[in-house]
Amino acid sequence: MENPGETRIRKFKGVSLLLAGAAGAGLLPFWTGQYYQQIFTIAFYYVALASTWNLIAGYTGQFSLAHHAFAAIGGYASALWVIHAGFPIWTGILAALLSSTLMGFILGVLCLRMRAIYLAIATWAFAESVRISLAMAYGITRGDLGLAVPKVFLGTGRAVACYYLFLGLATATILAVFLINRSKMGYYLRAIRDDEMVARVMGIKTTRWKIFSFVISSGIAGLAGAFYGHYNGLLTPVMVDFNEMAFIVIMVVIGGIRTISGPVIGAILIEILTETFREFGEIRMVIFALAVIAIARLYNEGAIGTVRLFAQWMSRR
Amino acid sequence: MDNLSIRVEEGELRGLIGPNGSGKTTFINLLSGLYKPTSGGVYFFGKRIDRLSPEDITQGGIMRTFQVARLFGDMTVLENMLIPAFTQGTSRREATRRAKELLDFSLLGRLSHEPARILSGGQSMLLQIVRGFMRQPLRLYLLDEPFNGVHPTIKEVMIKTIQKMNREEGISFLVVSHELTIVRRLCSRISVLHAGRLISEGTMREVANDPLVIDSYLGG
Repeated sequence: MENPGETRIRKFKGVSLLLAGAAGAGLLPFWTGQYYQQIFTIAFYYVALASTWNLIAGYTGQFSLAHHAFAAIGGYASALWVIHAGFPIWTGILAALLSSTLMGFILGVLCLRMRAIYLAIATWAFAESVRISLAMAYGITRGDLGLAVPKVFLGTGRAVACYYLFLGLATATILAVFLINRSKMGYYLRAIRDDEMVARVMGIKTTRWKIFSFVISSGIAGLAGAFYGHYNGLLTPVMVDFNEMAFIVIMVVIGGIRTISGPVIGAILIEILTETFREFGEIRMVIFALAVIAIARLYNEGAIGTVRLFAQWMSRR
Repeated sequence: MDNLSIRVEEGELRGLIGPNGSGKTTFINLLSGLYKPTSGGVYFFGKRIDRLSPEDITQGGIMRTFQVARLFGDMTVLENMLIPAFTQGTSRREATRRAKELLDFSLLGRLSHEPARILSGGQSMLLQIVRGFMRQPLRLYLLDEPFNGVHPTIKEVMIKTIQKMNREEGISFLVVSHELTIVRRLCSRISVLHAGRLISEGTMREVANDPLVIDSYLGG
């Protein structure tokens, strides 16, 4: 597998598969109506969040509970920049990327030397602080009433344009995570997750790489948050509710943690199920949580692992 | 550690023995930067290293193993090998070439693509040792109980690998072990610890005849 030639072939296969999948998804608007286009648009937003959370939690073993907060930071940064400075939306998206990256760096430096449970508590506390701050800073964010955000792609065909925008975001995110995972950095992150002390003894500057992966993940989450804000047209502190973080975790675990395709499948599956069973309200979360417990206890490979098992079983027949 | 001073020469194979709790692993933890001394210092080629991080000490050419093999279990045997080479900037091609060479020599080649977690205890210990040789140049290798509970066939492979790397690449070794037969075979000089203090040093014959060693470790 690690023969350089074979590595290149695997990389080529992975990228080809991703592009083929994206091309296939690109055909979907030709067969579906606006309703499903909107469901998939949101699903792609969650693909970006789930894939980047998988990079820090799945591949690096850093169980952050602040990923949704970075999406909110990006969303609000872009919205406030566009509203108050009056600059175009694309500059707001740049501001979102910068602010979430910077916050990711600061939180990473402060927290990533902590061990498992303390990191989870510290990041959760950070996320709660962001939520409360957004709610309290009424004069700037309009608090729980919500901030009206300038939308992208106004007019007819908006749903399709947004669909492609978010498909591009999801594809770029998956590609970035895939390339990181196949690079030397990917080896370092997996080594850190397996045994941080040994990783240090092997010469890996563990804190540096943990911060680096955290910063990349936070930056992309902020970018996704900005896209979401300009798509939805309204931002509220609900974006930083713990339920949002739980959704991301559920998507990754049900899809298959520590895999590239798991969070993609998980995000799309959960978003479709959430919409399909909307009338069941909060019960959906209970069912998803039970599914997560069952997967964690019985078969932690998730949906993607089940698909692989099935494929192996079929090939043996 | 109590007023302990040990000097390992370049290219030397040094044994470190002593009863349980005498401080052998603590000494290795101090040399590899996992522990910081409260007083005194660790010098490597004249440079003080006890304030450096474990990763910086490794970058300087010191590697270590652990008493219980600690591998990256979810990674393959070959991937485990590549990591120390990657951290020093070796290309994937060159790292893979050396890894395959070392794995073949240590009879682990056929397991290259297997996850490290499926290896037996002895194979894990062997891989842990061989993985350290991926760092180049490796100048001092600290082996903590490498032969503990290992099958005799694998022990033989370990001994041959250590001797080859010492001979061909001039790597110095500090081998902590209770297996005195192997220590006698491998090491030209032996240091004996007891209660954190160096109680004897010399060839195996010299330390074996030292009354202090007989009294505190070998029994008599």
